[in-house]
Amino acid sequence: MKKKSINKAIKIAMYPFILGCYLFFSTGQARNRLHILNFQQQKLQVSGTVTDINGELPGVSIIVQGKSTGTVSNLNGFYTIEVTVKDTLIFSYLGYKTKVVPINGRSQINVQLQEDLTTLQEVHINAGYYAVKESERTGSISKITSSAIEKQPVSDVLATMQGRMAGVNITQTTGVPGGGFDIQIRGQNSLRANGNSPLYIINGVPYASDPIGTGINSAVLPTQPSPLNSINPDQIESIEVLKDADATAIYGSRGANGVVLITTKKGASGTLKFTSNFSQGMGKVTRFMDLLKTPEYIAMRKEAYANDGISTIPSYAYDVNGIWDQNRYTNWQKELLGGTADVTNVQSSLSGGSAQTQFLLSGSYNKQTTVFLGDFAYKKGNVYLNVNHESENRKFKTNVSVGYTVQNNNQPRVDMMREAVSIAPNAPALYKEDGTLNWENNTFNNPLSNLEGTYEAKTNDMIANINLSYQLTDDLQLKSSIGYSTLSNKETTANPSTRYNPAWGLGSEYSSLIASRADRESWIFEPQLNWNKTIGKGKLKTLVGATYQSQKGNQLVQYASGFTSNSLIYNLASASNVYTLVSEETEYKYQAFFGRINYNWQEKYMVNLTGRRDGSSRFGSGKQFANFGAVGVAWLFSKERFLENNTILSFGKLRASYGITGNDQIGDYQYLDTYASSGVNYDGVIGLQPTRLFNPEFGWETNKKLEVALETSFLNEHIFLTAAWYNNRSSNQLTGISLPGTTGFSSIQSNLDAVVQNRGVELTLRTVNLKNNDFSWISNFNITISRNKLIKFPDLESSTYANQYVIGQPLNIQKVYHYTGVDPQTGVYTFEDVNGDGIISGIEDKTTLRDFNPKYFGGFQNQLKYKNWQLDFLFQFVKQINYNSTLFFGVPGSQSNQPTAVLNHWQQAGDIAPYPIYTDGNNSAAVDAYYKYFESDGAISDASFVRLKNISLSYNIPLKDIQCMVFFEGQNVLTFTKYDGADPEFKSAGYLPPLRILSAGVKFSF
Amino acid sequence: MKNFNNNKLNTRYHKDIIWRLVVLVIIILVVTLSICSCNDFVEIDLPSSQLTSNGVFEEKTTANAAMTDIYSKIRDAGLLTGSATGLSHLLGNYADELDFYGSSQNAAVVFYNNSLIASNADVKRLWDTSYNQIYAANAVIEGVENSVNLPIADRKQLRGEALFVRSLIHFYLTNLFGDIPYITTTDYEKNSIAVRVPDSTIYNNIKDDLEEAIQLLPEDYFSTERVRPNKYTVYALLSRVNLYAGLWSEAAIEASEVINNTGLYVYEQDLDKVFLKESTSTIWQLAPGFSGGNTLESETFNFTIGPPPLSALSANFMAAFDPNDQREIHWTKAVSDGSTTWYHPFKYKSSNTGSSVEYSIVFRLGELYLIRAEARAHLGDLLGAKEDLNKIRNRAGLEDTTTLSQDEILDAILQERRLELFTEFGHRFFDLKRFNKVDEVLSMVKPGWDSHDVLFPIPETELKLNPNLQPQNQGY
Repeated sequence: MKKKSINKAIKIAMYPFILGCYLFFSTGQARNRLHILNFQQQKLQVSGTVTDINGELPGVSIIVQGKSTGTVSNLNGFYTIEVTVKDTLIFSYLGYKTKVVPINGRSQINVQLQEDLTTLQEVHINAGYYAVKESERTGSISKITSSAIEKQPVSDVLATMQGRMAGVNITQTTGVPGGGFDIQIRGQNSLRANGNSPLYIINGVPYASDPIGTGINSAVLPTQPSPLNSINPDQIESIEVLKDADATAIYGSRGANGVVLITTKKGASGTLKFTSNFSQGMGKVTRFMDLLKTPEYIAMRKEAYANDGISTIPSYAYDVNGIWDQNRYTNWQKELLGGTADVTNVQSSLSGGSAQTQFLLSGSYNKQTTVFLGDFAYKKGNVYLNVNHESENRKFKTNVSVGYTVQNNNQPRVDMMREAVSIAPNAPALYKEDGTLNWENNTFNNPLSNLEGTYEAKTNDMIANINLSYQLTDDLQLKSSIGYSTLSNKETTANPSTRYNPAWGLGSEYSSLIASRADRESWIFEPQLNWNKTIGKGKLKTLVGATYQSQKGNQLVQYASGFTSNSLIYNLASASNVYTLVSEETEYKYQAFFGRINYNWQEKYMVNLTGRRDGSSRFGSGKQFANFGAVGVAWLFSKERFLENNTILSFGKLRASYGITGNDQIGDYQYLDTYASSGVNYDGVIGLQPTRLFNPEFGWETNKKLEVALETSFLNEHIFLTAAWYNNRSSNQLTGISLPGTTGFSSIQSNLDAVVQNRGVELTLRTVNLKNNDFSWISNFNITISRNKLIKFPDLESSTYANQYVIGQPLNIQKVYHYTGVDPQTGVYTFEDVNGDGIISGIEDKTTLRDFNPKYFGGFQNQLKYKNWQLDFLFQFVKQINYNSTLFFGVPGSQSNQPTAVLNHWQQAGDIAPYPIYTDGNNSAAVDAYYKYFESDGAISDASFVRLKNISLSYNIPLKDIQCMVFFEGQNVLTFTKYDGADPEFKSAGYLPPLRILSAGVKFSF
Repeated sequence: MKNFNNNKLNTRYHKDIIWRLVVLVIIILVVTLSICSCNDFVEIDLPSSQLTSNGVFEEKTTANAAMTDIYSKIRDAGLLTGSATGLSHLLGNYADELDFYGSSQNAAVVFYNNSLIASNADVKRLWDTSYNQIYAANAVIEGVENSVNLPIADRKQLRGEALFVRSLIHFYLTNLFGDIPYITTTDYEKNSIAVRVPDSTIYNNIKDDLEEAIQLLPEDYFSTERVRPNKYTVYALLSRVNLYAGLWSEAAIEASEVINNTGLYVYEQDLDKVFLKESTSTIWQLAPGFSGGNTLESETFNFTIGPPPLSALSANFMAAFDPNDQREIHWTKAVSDGSTTWYHPFKYKSSNTGSSVEYSIVFRLGELYLIRAEARAHLGDLLGAKEDLNKIRNRAGLEDTTTLSQDEILDAILQERRLELFTEFGHRFFDLKRFNKVDEVLSMVKPGWDSHDVLFPIPETELKLNPNLQPQNQGY
């Protein structure tokens, strides 16, 4: 009760604050306006046109120096402003040198702005609680902006970052829309497989990225849907990724895996501007595997039975015993996955406003169908409003943004990938002549029966936030950020009886439905004080703040069966049995104080201290609070006298940082010893089951990050090169320590005194290859070479991880058998018998190590502009290994199709062949060896690739009064790889790989 | 100078606003700090969906729910579930009872082909769910022990049931995996380094637990239906355990304890009534998961159109029936597509039709007669053995046995067990092992059979996570 009242007290405290601010300032503005109107005496109307080298420049901000008046140039570059004779005008526009022009009594001032390459250093980078000028940055922050994001025909925000940021490794887990991405910023820090997500912050509000829904309800997706799907890439202005201690320590316990800051677009002042964008594309599977055709397949099957010594082919081997047509051939990959996914994207926005108030209202709609047979689609609709206001004296500023997204995903209940590659090529037709599913007299397990049941997910999501700030004095600013988000997700997987073979004689009483519902609601309040002061020759910037955050979630998963009719399958009331599988509430509360002290001496030497004290409800009493902090330093050596005016080196900075961050991604309530309802009935009693093995003692995982980086640019910013070296160490590993099944559970939550190191080098190179009036060519290259290593693990040998990890090796290794070829005598796969005991058995013989982390990865992006044409393309490259295509297939010879490579197999004693003897499964030595092959290095091959990830060509149609652009975009266009599996990029075998998407569209604004 | 006035007004206004704002900030900071000074903000309540473990065992109803949940788990998953992932179906395929017709992707295929490997997911699932059930039983034992308020009668009841469950699961595990750890605590630190103990030790532990459970459990059933174990259920298990251990006289005595209680148990003569939920020959059965439900077995085995979607009784098994054996008619069912005929087990006839007719029976009188017959045969009481065997034969419509010698009688008992107990939790496989005939019989009918298949492999991840479980069973 007490807790609730405090909670309430905070909320109550917030209301007068917000309300107060509004009341004071709104009246203040009214009076200010009055005052300004009367204050100016010698009024003068100045007008003119702002141009750049190419012509008129719209959207240029024109303000009067030292005053609060300002305007913006219109579409024709024209502006008009009321000033006094002695005023000075400041013209500024992003990417151009700012120009200061005294009026000196003139009434017409035309200005040409110079494009400024050096402004890259002037750009302010969002570091979360503060912004910092690129040149004075002490931390490691990567950034992409809307110009890169908008050029990609994708609907997921993480997809837009792939290959564009050093140190950020992103893999798409499925080609089914609505699925997820894996992201790792500077490697795997936590031993917990699901403790490596970065912290996502949208406009200052943390956004819970834990998967929504339940695994059992989304069998079609390899991972549960990510809530990040609800963010619309078109509405993003920039994404900044914070990587080192200096940048992340202010996020304390949540900064260990990096921080992703997403800033949405804001309105621009000026006349009302309408922008609309429409594109239509199509997606196809990037590549199919080479599989056996019918004659080869039948021959294989017959050979298998002959090898097994079975002369009468069994009655159930329909493919070869004459029941199925042995001349029939279907390319099942084409049949089941060969469709074209339509990708539609429509977006419109309206923006405008005065110098004080700007707004942006935008709406978008995405639809993506699938490559499967049947009518499935992912749809996403979104509205977004952003309003910016500042008082005329510029002391009070507010920004309000609200976004609402509706997603509707309708997919088959399972992915057809595995079936598409394994069905016998002579399997019968999918449909009978009358259009119904063909079960071929109950001999064919028709894959389309999977389409009878569908997976549906509906997600509604709202993110709202208000940022308020007030300049108390010239030095002191009070800021506050208030955020609220709510998400509701409904998922159903229907399993109607029609999906079963009619031979089972099952009616709708056998139909079942899994229905789940998850709601999540969170609020955050972050007051903050900034105090800046010039001290000596330097500038001091400080801030202190606090965070209060609460997140509540609840989830209900029900299983219903025994419906009166299949048409009532979505109605739980029509089910004769309804079980509740999960009914739970979770609460997460988080509190912190944070601060920053930054001292910048003559823009040459910088020191940045950040710290945070964090408390989290995810830990038991006495373990809830911990401190985190970092120090960052930078030296702009190019500003030293000996390098000033150097014609080659135009910019040089050396920076370093060290600090401690933490990780609390362990789920809620893990420290409690509890029983929970199992929801299952026995003898009229609903059961209670032990929730977990419990340990009340665990605390934070800590992550120490060290980074040294050099940033240089040469030849007047034509070449910009940065090199960063980092070494991060995670200790006090908070893991679900895997336990043997004999404990009754698979894991227990605990701190382990193990140390994981991620060390790497990141290089980025930006070159301006060519630039003149008509033509420009800019390249960006990034590469990350990293190494993950287990440094320390107490008593690893006797621990439960003894056979999973090796000290000095990466976490992501597999211990496998060493494959030694097919035995020329028996035709069976052979492996190295390491301990020489004559048996190939689990642990002692699995001594070959394979590291599944990428050795290096990166991207090479180019932007070419010629007059109204613009071409962008990005090559992504990854050097890695992965399980090869073998993993998809059963024993060669059994009733499962095989890759054509299998034709080169062992047939008689003496044969030297890469593939083993065919068997239907009766040759147990061959079968045993075949399954061992999956656990050997023979099943692992190089999966490196270079991929034309994105290409975009656009043309601005020169029209008067209206800007119109036509564009063509492609994603995953070309892939160069030696990998023989479905797709080298992704890692979820058995699921649809990412699609190739080609799309064309038009964008206009007026 | 109107303008000047305005300016002054404005300045005053600014001072005003700053002053008011500063006050507001102070208020906020004070409120904030007062909250922060205590760490209450990050304290959260227990979620409404959970109870503390201590609390569960202070009340009769919640303690009881902790126990019944174990039976639900036994019914729905693991060794004794009637679903296709339980022993009835998997061991039926593994031995010579069933032929598999389902999809080549189905988990049962490798059981049918006897090609299990140490990394097989279903073997691991059987192992994990079993030890999870054992954990839950141990949690009940410890919870009851630490409870302050639970009445003595309930303590005895729950401890007795939990000991029974712990023994039952260990019994099946040791028959599948050989030497295994015997887990008697919820302490994960101990359990994660548990060592394998010889099966003789396991049998002793099982017997200790069961003997204590006999002392604790009442003769009557907990409720009107025979869905919670009573004293005689424990006798039934103990009798089987002693039979497996070759302790013939104990096995016979314990079987008699049950058989002789004619007040509770009446040998059902009608084959069609043996598996009904009201059957008086039932000793312990598992209640369905919802009112009106029937058994999972009926869903696993029954089909109406051929070819079979999953499994059907093997031709070899069907041929074992004597032409007069009524069990062939009443306990199996033929399904034909015109040219081929398949047979499925038909002990459980009712599917989910809305009213409960049958429950999944774990112990029934028929088995106890067969246990006593076998024990008596070994003890030299051949007459008594034949008398018990004939109880089974006569009900099936067969004549008295004509066997004479001890060996002949034992062979007849093995055959009778096959026909009486088919597709009931893997009796056939265990019997072949006990009679030392597993290689001889299965290598004839199962091309994939190897002598090491007599034991399942210890799940590979278990060996990884707990090296004390090494070495792996032979041949894997």
